[in-house]
Amino acid sequence: MRTTRRSLLRLMGAGAAAATVRHDAAPVFAQAGGPVKIGVLTIRAGIAAPVGAAGLRSTEWWLERVNKAGGILGRPVQLIVEEESNPKDTVERYRKLILQDKVEAVLGGISTGVTLALGPVADDLGTPWLSWDGTTQKGVEETMPNPKWAFKSVDNEVEAIVAGMLTAKYFKGVKTVAGIGNDYSYGHDCWESYQAVLKKYTPDVKFVLELFPKLGVTDFTSHIVAIQQSKADLLMCSFWSGDATIIMKQAAAVGLFKTMKGVFTTAGGVHDSLKKEFTPEGLLLGYNTMYFDDPKGSPLLKQFVREYKAKYNEYPPYECDHAYFCAESYKAAVEKAARSGRQWPEKAQVVKALEGIEADSLSGRRSWREDHIQMCNFYQGVTTHKNPYDFVTIDPIEVVSTKVAMKPAGSRLFDWINSWKI
Amino acid sequence: MSGRLVLAAALGAAVLAPLVAPTYQALLMLPFMAYAVALLGLNLLFGYTGLVSFGHALFLGIGAYTGAFLTSVFKVRSMEVILVAAAALGALVAAPVGALCVRYVKIYFGMLTLAFGMVFYTFVLKFYRLTGGDEGMPFLRPALLGRSLEGLSKIDYLVGPYYYYSLAVLVLATLVMWRIVRSPFGLCLKTIRDNPTKAETLGIGVARYRWYAFVISAVYAAVGGALLGPPTGNVDPTLAYWTQSGNIVFMTLLGGFASFFGPVLGAFVFIYLQDWVMSIVPFWRLIFGAILAVIVIFAPGGLAGLLTPRPAAAPRP
Amino acid sequence: MTAHVVNLVVSGVFHASILFLVSAGLQVVFGVQKIFNLACGSFYALGAYVGVSAVAWYAEAGGPPALFILPLAIAGVAAGALGVVVERGLLRFVYDRDETFQLLLTFAVVLMMEDAIRMTWGTSPRSTAGLYLTYGGVHVLGTTVPVYNLIVIGASLAIAVLIGWLLTHTAFGCIIRASADNREMAEALGVDMRRLYAKVFTLGTALGTLGGALVIPATAAMSEMGIELIVEAFAVVVIGGLGSMRGAFVGALIVGVLRSIAISVYPELEMLLIYLIVIAVLVLRPRGLFGGAPA
Repeated sequence: MRTTRRSLLRLMGAGAAAATVRHDAAPVFAQAGGPVKIGVLTIRAGIAAPVGAAGLRSTEWWLERVNKAGGILGRPVQLIVEEESNPKDTVERYRKLILQDKVEAVLGGISTGVTLALGPVADDLGTPWLSWDGTTQKGVEETMPNPKWAFKSVDNEVEAIVAGMLTAKYFKGVKTVAGIGNDYSYGHDCWESYQAVLKKYTPDVKFVLELFPKLGVTDFTSHIVAIQQSKADLLMCSFWSGDATIIMKQAAAVGLFKTMKGVFTTAGGVHDSLKKEFTPEGLLLGYNTMYFDDPKGSPLLKQFVREYKAKYNEYPPYECDHAYFCAESYKAAVEKAARSGRQWPEKAQVVKALEGIEADSLSGRRSWREDHIQMCNFYQGVTTHKNPYDFVTIDPIEVVSTKVAMKPAGSRLFDWINSWKI
Repeated sequence: MSGRLVLAAALGAAVLAPLVAPTYQALLMLPFMAYAVALLGLNLLFGYTGLVSFGHALFLGIGAYTGAFLTSVFKVRSMEVILVAAAALGALVAAPVGALCVRYVKIYFGMLTLAFGMVFYTFVLKFYRLTGGDEGMPFLRPALLGRSLEGLSKIDYLVGPYYYYSLAVLVLATLVMWRIVRSPFGLCLKTIRDNPTKAETLGIGVARYRWYAFVISAVYAAVGGALLGPPTGNVDPTLAYWTQSGNIVFMTLLGGFASFFGPVLGAFVFIYLQDWVMSIVPFWRLIFGAILAVIVIFAPGGLAGLLTPRPAAAPRP
Repeated sequence: MTAHVVNLVVSGVFHASILFLVSAGLQVVFGVQKIFNLACGSFYALGAYVGVSAVAWYAEAGGPPALFILPLAIAGVAAGALGVVVERGLLRFVYDRDETFQLLLTFAVVLMMEDAIRMTWGTSPRSTAGLYLTYGGVHVLGTTVPVYNLIVIGASLAIAVLIGWLLTHTAFGCIIRASADNREMAEALGVDMRRLYAKVFTLGTALGTLGGALVIPATAAMSEMGIELIVEAFAVVVIGGLGSMRGAFVGALIVGVLRSIAISVYPELEMLLIYLIVIAVLVLRPRGLFGGAPA
């Protein structure tokens, strides 16, 4: 036994020495002609699985169109789909996409915990990564201040900021506000930015209650009791999944919105489950960055909504457009970078081309800001029953650009909000 | 002795893996080695003492969060300090928790550990200012043996120095555990597992020995948790969720709790199997559930039980 | 103030009703078979999804909306048939093994069911639209209470009474209690354990699926709802005492009402409070409030 142990240690020493001269880390160049491999990360299980499904569906829709039109620079595109689950496993899948599948770029990433872990990994592996979502403040300000390879979607708090502005516009005279959000960074950040914005417009507003149930709770009857008891004039809610539907229904059962105004910053994520039977008119409802029923919508949006409905029997939520833009802007960047020659550009050139690029997306023109943040429009409005569907839509529709409602590059969120002149 | 040959071959393969295997496959060895350390400890409790903890993710979490706190809050980057701190903190938490848990056996022990695990999970998720909540905390690249190694790319760092560092920790942990289970102490644990009443009459302080085993296993899990952090670079609450506790028990059973190296084998197979199955079907949980069911029903001795020629005498934990 | 108290109690008891059904399923199985069924949450989720499908089918067939509760309850009970499959197909092989293996086997069922549900119903939340509001609300002491919540509470109470009657006044109940107390003796007296176990496990499953089906109009079926619920059901049976029906009843009330109060008084404590009570019970009185078997 003793000898084995000693020889073992010697072996390990040899291994450690050899490790410094590893040779398989040479950069891999794409072969011209073959299909372009693009990695996609999508959530398949849990609360956010529908969001993942929406992103993947629209990426596949994009893929079909692109390949029909001859691919990117004449090369067909091939998607390699991996599951986004917990941060540890997703980091491993991400590395697999790059090291083993040798993809040219990775699209996707939804939950903040995962995207925060992926940021440094992406920068380390030197392959462009275009995230669909998952950009709360901590991620933007602390963990990834200057990403090189990571492109980070749009700040998650923008919808709460827009909701704050529109609350001041539509619900004048509101004195007391209660808030409910999921107990994690998104819920807390939304609530804080909403408060900061609303205070700017109506300094005497009081925030009387904040509730943060765990993500995944399916019974809010007790939370609604607490909200009733707070006797607030308005309820702000940042739910975005099935829980938005549930709280709406349970609130309707006790007539909560007969006496209270309601602001649902993100419930547009599950808009077609907000049936007229239990969703009242007159609530402020946010659709994030794509409104499927936009009368001013482009032919592209109309075609997408039609085909999505035909295929999945659902109306598409916003994540579709985040995902579509990530794919489309990647294609545009490759073509831009290759403009000089017909050769497939290197990854670093694609990143350079992505910075500041504009592309046609489902909801209209979108672009990447120089600091790798998406620029687009947010859609919110007042719920109405006047439509051909069995669920609510919005009218009027307020369109607010990220130029107005997102903090400029390099600034800090609350410093920026506090500097507003109203 | 073929056992030693197999062991030497496995170790040789582990040493050579970063040099010959594709980088990605070598990277997968890192979580394997981290889990292997934790499972060696878990099995002291499971296989040797007969107590199944359904809350050991608690200690994985403690180890991982110790590293995250030290590197990103206290600016301590030395991996040795992190490992020692993780072990100490693991023991510190395990001492009172274990004292309460080991008063019970079987299902009650399992449930009490599960409850403590969920308290920790809820705490980490809830006190988001302190722990980062769902976003977790960064586990910055630790320095190994006093060398910062910042010059290397993260991948070169991971499949190079960090790989051999993990391997060394695993080998060391294995040797120590080997000593523990062969010692009179280990024999006492086995006696307690097989017949607690007899053990008591022999003058073995049953509760005290179970408590020792609990604390040692927690220390192993915390060290494993600390090793798990750097490859991901971020530590988050899912590491401490009850399904994670279920998964590590699954790994132990997959490999075989009745054998010393069984859990290590289980961790290895679990990780590479998961990687493979995830690549070919989206519904990998269904397949893993089925595998677990098959093992529980037909091969309770796990893979190690199938591989050893001895007739499986229906081992009981 | 009275309105607030009424609201607190009704919402707490509503939550407790669902918890009771799921934990009753857990208890009956543990009482007789000594298996801690981690999959009870998955059965609950299955009941919810089956309930949504049944109601959708019923609405399409043109059934009167006011009677939707009938297809819902029938579907919930029928989904309990899965219990036979799990018991005969998996669990019966491990009865002579250690409890740990039985626990792990139910963990395997949790993993499989999660994907099976996803493959069948997809990932989007499923709901029964506005059926929840069909029965409207009643005004009690200055507040509105949804009638459907009262129906769920009533149904849960009725089931509790029914189980109590079944256990104490029927031959089947007698056999169950005898087998729970002393399996060998019951077997020696001629009880066919094979059939009894299949029946008991199916009963336990049906309680869970019925709970899922009954609650679904008030909420929405979501992936992982079972995994979330198992932790709460677990708290209920630990507080009440493993294997005890009365324990499930009282435990569910304690967890439901305390949760409701915590949310109104100090929301930060919501779940943490429950776990702390669980640990306190396990430490001070490990058999729970009504548990019989020594730890």
